Parts: sequence; C-alpha cells; structure tokens
Amino acid sequence: MGRWGIAHIFASFNNIIITITDLTGAETIARCSGGMVTKSAKDEGTPYTAMKVASTVAEAAHEKGIDRVNVKIRGQGGNKALTPGRGAQAAIRALVRSGFKIGKIEDVTPIPHDGCRKKGGRRGRRI
Amino acid sequence: MAKARSRAAARKVKDRWKAKNWYNIIAPPAFDSVTIADTMTDNPDSLINRVTGISLQDLTNDFRKSHIILFFKINKVEEDKAHTQFSGHTLTSDYLRRMIRRRRSKIEGVYDVDTRDGAVIRVKPFATTDKRIQNSQRKVVREAMKRTISNRAKDSTLSEFMKNILDGRMGSDIYKNCKKLYPVKRIEIHKTEVISHPTIVIEEKKPKKEEIEEPKQPEKKEKKPKDEKKTKELKEPETKEKEIPKEEKKLEKPKVEKKIEKKTPKPKKKIKKVAAKKPVTKKTTTKKTTKPKTTSKKKTTTKKKVTKKK
Repeated sequence: MGRWGIAHIFASFNNIIITITDLTGAETIARCSGGMVTKSAKDEGTPYTAMKVASTVAEAAHEKGIDRVNVKIRGQGGNKALTPGRGAQAAIRALVRSGFKIGKIEDVTPIPHDGCRKKGGRRGRRI
Repeated sequence: MAKARSRAAARKVKDRWKAKNWYNIIAPPAFDSVTIADTMTDNPDSLINRVTGISLQDLTNDFRKSHIILFFKINKVEEDKAHTQFSGHTLTSDYLRRMIRRRRSKIEGVYDVDTRDGAVIRVKPFATTDKRIQNSQRKVVREAMKRTISNRAKDSTLSEFMKNILDGRMGSDIYKNCKKLYPVKRIEIHKTEVISHPTIVIEEKKPKKEEIEEPKQPEKKEKKPKDEKKTKELKEPETKEKEIPKEEKKLEKPKVEKKIEKKTPKPKKKIKKVAAKKPVTKKTTTKKTTKPKTTSKKKTTTKKKVTKKK
C-alpha cells in the first residue's frame, strides 16, 4: 500500500509547475516545471509539456513510495486569470496514466475579496 | 564548478531523504483519535505546527459531508505518533459558490465567541435569501445569528460546539431564530478558526475515558489532586446553573414543548433538502460527463502532436 500525497499543480498560460508533497504540504517529495522539460520558452505552457512534467514528477514520487494523490489545481489568480491554463487537464490525465490513484480534485485558485486594480489602465491594453 | 556543486547537492538531497522517517498523524480524542494522515521528517521538532486538512467524509464515511474540510494542527510528538489539536474548518469553495446566485443576497458575519471551557473561536456564518433584501433586514438577521451562536457557545464545550456546527444543528437553530425576521433560505457555518484553545477542563462524558487512560501512566499521586480540581470545577458551574434555573426553568418548560412542535415539521424540511440536493449531484455528474468529451478531443490532439514530434 502506497502513501497519500498532494499534487499541487500550478498551471498558468505560460508555464506549469507540479509539486508533490506529503499530506501536510510541508515536505516536498518531487517537483518539476515546464522549463525543466522543454527547450523553447514558448512551449512551457502547452499541454504536451504538461504531460511530460507530470510523468517525470510521477516517476520520482513512485520511487519514494507515493501511490495516491489528492490534486490541488490552481491558475494564476489574484487580479489575473482565474481559470487554470491549458496544461492543467493534460497534467491530471498524465498523472492518472502513470499509475496514481486520485482522491480529490480541488480548485484552489486564489480569489481576491477585492484587491488591487487590474493591470491595463482604464481604456484597456492598446496594441 | 556548477556541475560539481549540483552533483554534491543531489547527493545531499538523497542522503536527507533516507534520513527521514514517517510519522502517523492522529486526530484529537474528540474525533476518536483516528490516524488521519502521515508526514515525514528528519527532525521531529519540525513536525509541530504543521497543519493537515481532511474532509468529514473521510472521517465519518458520510458522503454527504464531503464539502466540509477540518484542519488539525500537530502539537505533540510521541515516537512515531503525532498528536493534533482541532484548529478550524471550512466549506469547499465550489460548494459556497454553488449557493450564491444572482439577484439574491448573502448575509455574512464574523464573530469571536467564548465557549464554556474558555476557548475563543472565530465563527463565520453564511446565509442566502430568495430575494434581494434591504440592508436593515440584513442587519437584523446578522444580529440574530450573533445572539444564537454566542448563546450556544456559552453553555457548551469546544468539542460539543463543533459537533453542533458539523451536524448542521447550529444552522437549523439560527434558521429558527431568523425565520420571524426574514425567511432566510439556507444557513451554514462556512468557517471556524480556533483562536485560543480551552483553558479549563470541564467534560461530563470524558472523565470516564481519562480514568481508563490514567492507569497506564505511573504518576498517580500527582493526578489525584488534579481530579479533585476537576471535580471542583465541575461543581462550580453546576452551582451556577442551579442558582439560575429556578427562575428560568419555568420559562424553559414551554420552550421544550415548542421545540417538540417545531421538531415535527423538521423531517419534511429534511426531505426537501435531500430533494434539493439531488439535482446538485446530477449537475456534477453532467459536468463530469461533459468534461471527458473535451478531454477525449484533447487526447487525440496531444497524440497527434506526439506523433508529429516523433
């Protein structure tokens, strides 16, 4: 019987970072990000790299005896995009493919109770 | 140099991993001291103040309570067991967001409340209505919420208080009191935080458990006076209660009758609630069914990409 862990997936539009920790979230077991897998910066946020990132993380975590995982997924949040990026779904699927049992999937995007003004000015971004 | 450094770092990391041991995290006795989770560390002192969240579903096997998350903080480590204290609860954000709709108002409040055993808890109730209501009405409802919560806290210990909240009894209590002011739709306690832990030990049910536990520990002489203290403490509140009730008992009796009357319509509400909840579950299922379609599409696309790149 393997142990439980938490997979923190941070999926923005330009990158993905996956960290697998123990259930308290205090000890990191494995982590990987888009830049560690691809060479070009533009590919860091794609679903394909997300898949690769998830599989590398999964390998490392399996070695250390973690078989089951609760997923906490998060987009950029704050006053920026509240939806998780393109890589999020691909990452979860890749985690399942690589043999993890998944307990709960939760969205933990930080949502302001009203904070700073959004970037871009009154008339929006002009190109 | 950089490579050598990174290699050395890698070796160090591996060594540190081997040095780490696993510890079982155990729930406080109010939650039957079940093992909730496990963590690892090389230094047991660093375990203290770590927090784990666990859903009530996992603790009680009641699937209807999967939206409640309890938090436990480690305060004591013995061998491979880490003992915890209750430190608060929340409802999941998706459950809260489901209740909030357009053109209805939500009523929230934040109250610091003292329990009978000297703990201070921050309670955040949450109510929704079927219409938009005026600010003055919200104010009145909020006051009623505050009154009922603080009254409940006064005559119950921390664990009793929390059980009330987690059962939903607190919600129905508030509902009863708010009904006359405004027919509020749904009431839930969406967050609690324990600010300071209980200082006085008053438990009517627990002494039996403690008596069972005590024989294991050799220091009996020191504990006997403690028991006396406990009994004294037990007596004090009783006397206080005895003084007051003579006047109040007369008042209380009709209340009990009313409660019985009110209790009878309750089951109907419960049925309604269940009926209301069912469509929610259906929604989730529909969501789930819709998601895989998109995923399957994406699967194909990703596969294509793989083939292209290869």
